[in-house]
Amino acid sequence: MSGLQLQDLTKRFGSVNAVASVNLSVPQGTFVCLLGPSGCGKTTLLRMIAGLEEPTEGAIVLDNKDMTGVPTHQRDFGMVFQSLALFPHLNVGENIAYPLRIRGVDKAEQKRRVEELLELVRLPGLADRPVAKLSGGQRQRVAIARALALRPKLFLLDEPLSALDAKLREAMQVELRQLQQSLGITTIVVTHDQREAMTMADLVVVMGEGRIRQAASPIQVYRKPSDAFVADFIGMTNLLPLKGNGDLLGRSFPSLGMAVGPRGGHLSVRPEDIRLVSPDQGTLTGTVTFVRDLGGTIETFVDVEGTSIVAVTTPRERTPYVAGDNVGIHLPVESCVVLKG
Amino acid sequence: MRREPPRSLADYAPIAFPAIMLLVFFVIPFSTMIAVSFFRRDPAGFYSRDFIFDNYERFLSAFFGGVLSFSIMLAIVVAIICVILAFPFTWLLSQASRRVQIVWLVAILSVLSLSEVIIGFAWTTLFSRTAGLTNILVWLGLMSEPHALMPNFGAVLTGMVYQALPYTILVLYPAIVRLDPTLMEAARTLGSSPLRSFFNVIVPAMRSTITATLIMVFVFALGSYLLPQMLGRPQHWTLSVLITDQAIYQSNMPFAAAMAVFLVLMSLAFVGLTLLVGARKGAEA
Amino acid sequence: MTNILATKISRRAALGAGLATAGVLAMPTILRAQDRSIKVGVYGGYFKDSFDKHIFPGFTEATGIAVESIAEPTGEAWLVQLEQAARAGQAPADLSMMSQVAMLKGQATELWTPIDTARMKNAGNLLDQFVNKYPDGRVAGIGAVAWYITLVTNTDVYKDAPESWTALWDEANKDKIGLLALVSNSFLLEVTAKTFFGGTNALDTEEGQIKVFEKLAEVRPNVRLWYRDEAQFEQALKSGEIPMGQYYHDVTGLAAADGQPVRSTFPKEGGILDSGCWALSRASKKVDEAHEFIDYMCQPQIQAELSRKVGTAPTIRRDLLDLADEEFAAVSSEIDPIIPRYDLYTSKADWLNQKWTEMIAG
Repeated sequence: MSGLQLQDLTKRFGSVNAVASVNLSVPQGTFVCLLGPSGCGKTTLLRMIAGLEEPTEGAIVLDNKDMTGVPTHQRDFGMVFQSLALFPHLNVGENIAYPLRIRGVDKAEQKRRVEELLELVRLPGLADRPVAKLSGGQRQRVAIARALALRPKLFLLDEPLSALDAKLREAMQVELRQLQQSLGITTIVVTHDQREAMTMADLVVVMGEGRIRQAASPIQVYRKPSDAFVADFIGMTNLLPLKGNGDLLGRSFPSLGMAVGPRGGHLSVRPEDIRLVSPDQGTLTGTVTFVRDLGGTIETFVDVEGTSIVAVTTPRERTPYVAGDNVGIHLPVESCVVLKG
Repeated sequence: MRREPPRSLADYAPIAFPAIMLLVFFVIPFSTMIAVSFFRRDPAGFYSRDFIFDNYERFLSAFFGGVLSFSIMLAIVVAIICVILAFPFTWLLSQASRRVQIVWLVAILSVLSLSEVIIGFAWTTLFSRTAGLTNILVWLGLMSEPHALMPNFGAVLTGMVYQALPYTILVLYPAIVRLDPTLMEAARTLGSSPLRSFFNVIVPAMRSTITATLIMVFVFALGSYLLPQMLGRPQHWTLSVLITDQAIYQSNMPFAAAMAVFLVLMSLAFVGLTLLVGARKGAEA
Repeated sequence: MTNILATKISRRAALGAGLATAGVLAMPTILRAQDRSIKVGVYGGYFKDSFDKHIFPGFTEATGIAVESIAEPTGEAWLVQLEQAARAGQAPADLSMMSQVAMLKGQATELWTPIDTARMKNAGNLLDQFVNKYPDGRVAGIGAVAWYITLVTNTDVYKDAPESWTALWDEANKDKIGLLALVSNSFLLEVTAKTFFGGTNALDTEEGQIKVFEKLAEVRPNVRLWYRDEAQFEQALKSGEIPMGQYYHDVTGLAAADGQPVRSTFPKEGGILDSGCWALSRASKKVDEAHEFIDYMCQPQIQAELSRKVGTAPTIRRDLLDLADEEFAAVSSEIDPIIPRYDLYTSKADWLNQKWTEMIAG
């Protein structure tokens, strides 16, 4: 099977499991985002794939070939580092040509390829510029071009956009996705920004405490989180405590009790799925505590039995409530996810 | 933080201390030395105030030219060897665990605390026929009888490299530790083996640090005057040895000062040249 | 010019001298309590300690003159201080122990108050070479201490003692010899002149000096170490690493007595006799006390005491001393010594130094 397989991949630092038996199959041409809070093991996992960390256990297989023991410089993977790691003593062209020079590609071919790559990352004609004289976004593009110079089988990026300001970052996310699609290259990006993951990925791998919590398409991860950790990490959500007997904030829903099981759990509802109705019509009722009118959207915070629930609406739907209003909360059944534990 | 130009005298206060230190410990002694170098030497007494060029004239001879060139050559060779040894060592040290680094740094600092005299005596013993290293080779059966490994140029060089090496490492260490560790990793992901990466990424990326270190070790080695005496023959004595002789034993301060001024000027010239070459290379790259 | 015992702690001595001088200048009245007193400068370290312990108390007891001893640095720094102080009418020390070259340099500026030997009943005891005179015959200084530099060998390597300085030139001794590194403290020009050219008079002319230099240059292949630091040579001599050389007779004797395999030999051409003089600063008003002090120092029993306790060679005639043969041999010899040509080190200092440096480095 072509593509990347991670089999029981484990990395221990002393007694700490940085990465604990990760199994993952990535089909050829897929854009994967490793997503999770800092310290969740996502960077360690990426570094193992690159060969910069040696796995304690497990195997890395690419196109049916075991890469586990292959030294980094023989793996033919392109990698972009968080620091970008552009060589300060080389100019833009020389940085991009560095892997070609190492391989003994002849000068003319190097030059041609550098121009082609600069074209690809939309920096034509900058080959002679010293690295120190580039803007943040330009440095980003040079790092990407350099990593792609050898036409790698696998493209790895470690928090590549974290140094950019918000606007540029969003633009680069789109660009990076388009670039990946045009090249059809299997790509793995480490990020802690769920918006970034949603924008770019075919496959979002949510990690927590060294383990994969969920690996699925972005919309699936958003709509059907596999547990409270994922639901909470991906976007804004309301996690309402659900008891084993079907008790939800003082109201009884036996069918939910059946779904969550005797030990109870949570009910996850996205704020934009909640509808605010008159008190007598809602699934739950509560008191508005705070209203945040952001212009484009309105966030209404409602206190129900001591739990704060947030609902997001647009101004077109209705006029804002004010603090102290009594409201009913309607939870559409199809948007609710029951999470055990 | 916005920087405002200093307006009142008080605004200059923060630089007063370093300025005074510079004046007291550098400008005044150095000016005095320059002044004395033009004084008249009185062989039957000490010296008298004057403005003559005799001292410089005496220095401009083939003999002193030879000694000066030897001193500079020795300092250059010591600087190059030290950097060649210290750079890879410091790089490897920076890759080691914190604990290993601390142990090494403490050991290196303790070597640095040894005076030139102690280092000289230690090496005279190690290089001696009666108690030296060759006895171990004889004991191992690799040599038929012990030899003295001094006095010669190699012994001088060994002693001076030993003395300057800890200093070199400590000068390189902060810069190397601060170097982005991903540079090396990036080179590896780009298809370069670790050894190759070291030479075509780490070394060139540290070019200015290496240049600065070469200069510092060069200046440090130029001042050495005990080790050449203890480990070398008279033809290996540096200009610093002759300056000491003139100042301490011959009471010829004006001539000693003239030689010292020459030495300082020559080393400044070399430092300038090195920086110039470095800057040109930097511009080409 | 300098003695090992003084130079070993020269840094401390120099510091001590600086402090002592400052103290004296700042508090000139402190000695008024005693009716009569004198300030005596002695090489700091071993010499000063020995004099404080063995010599000065006896002098105070005998004469009622209190002695304030001052540690003076070796080399010529003390001469410069005395000279500058004298110009200001000050005397950091009344009497000072001065090297021969410093004596000559002091003469040039009339720094030394002439000594009247007629006022000293023991002056007649002195050997001629220990009376330092102005060119016009006035006495500038009187010998204080003397020491020999001789031919020393390691007894394990040389079963038989060498007899002559010519051993330094012997091809059999290639790379085995340690010599002092400076023209003005090794006195090897004088040794060469006496050994090969009939005496130090051969150094009177520049041609003579050049001839001597040429002869001396022949020892170069034999020399393993030209030393400035005595400890370095002493160590190498004891271990046999450098089994022959020139060194201080007294220290070598002490090492041999300690059981070290070393010996000091007076070659048949004589040992090198170096010495220090008592000299009186022209700024001093203690002329009477100074004469009393020098007279006291010239007594045979004091000279014998110095030889026994401090290890210096007597500056007076042997026949006046009650030293046993063994005691005498430990510090001196009856072989006619080689007296350094101190005059050359003032009149031609720079030229000789230049020639010398070129000779040994060449």
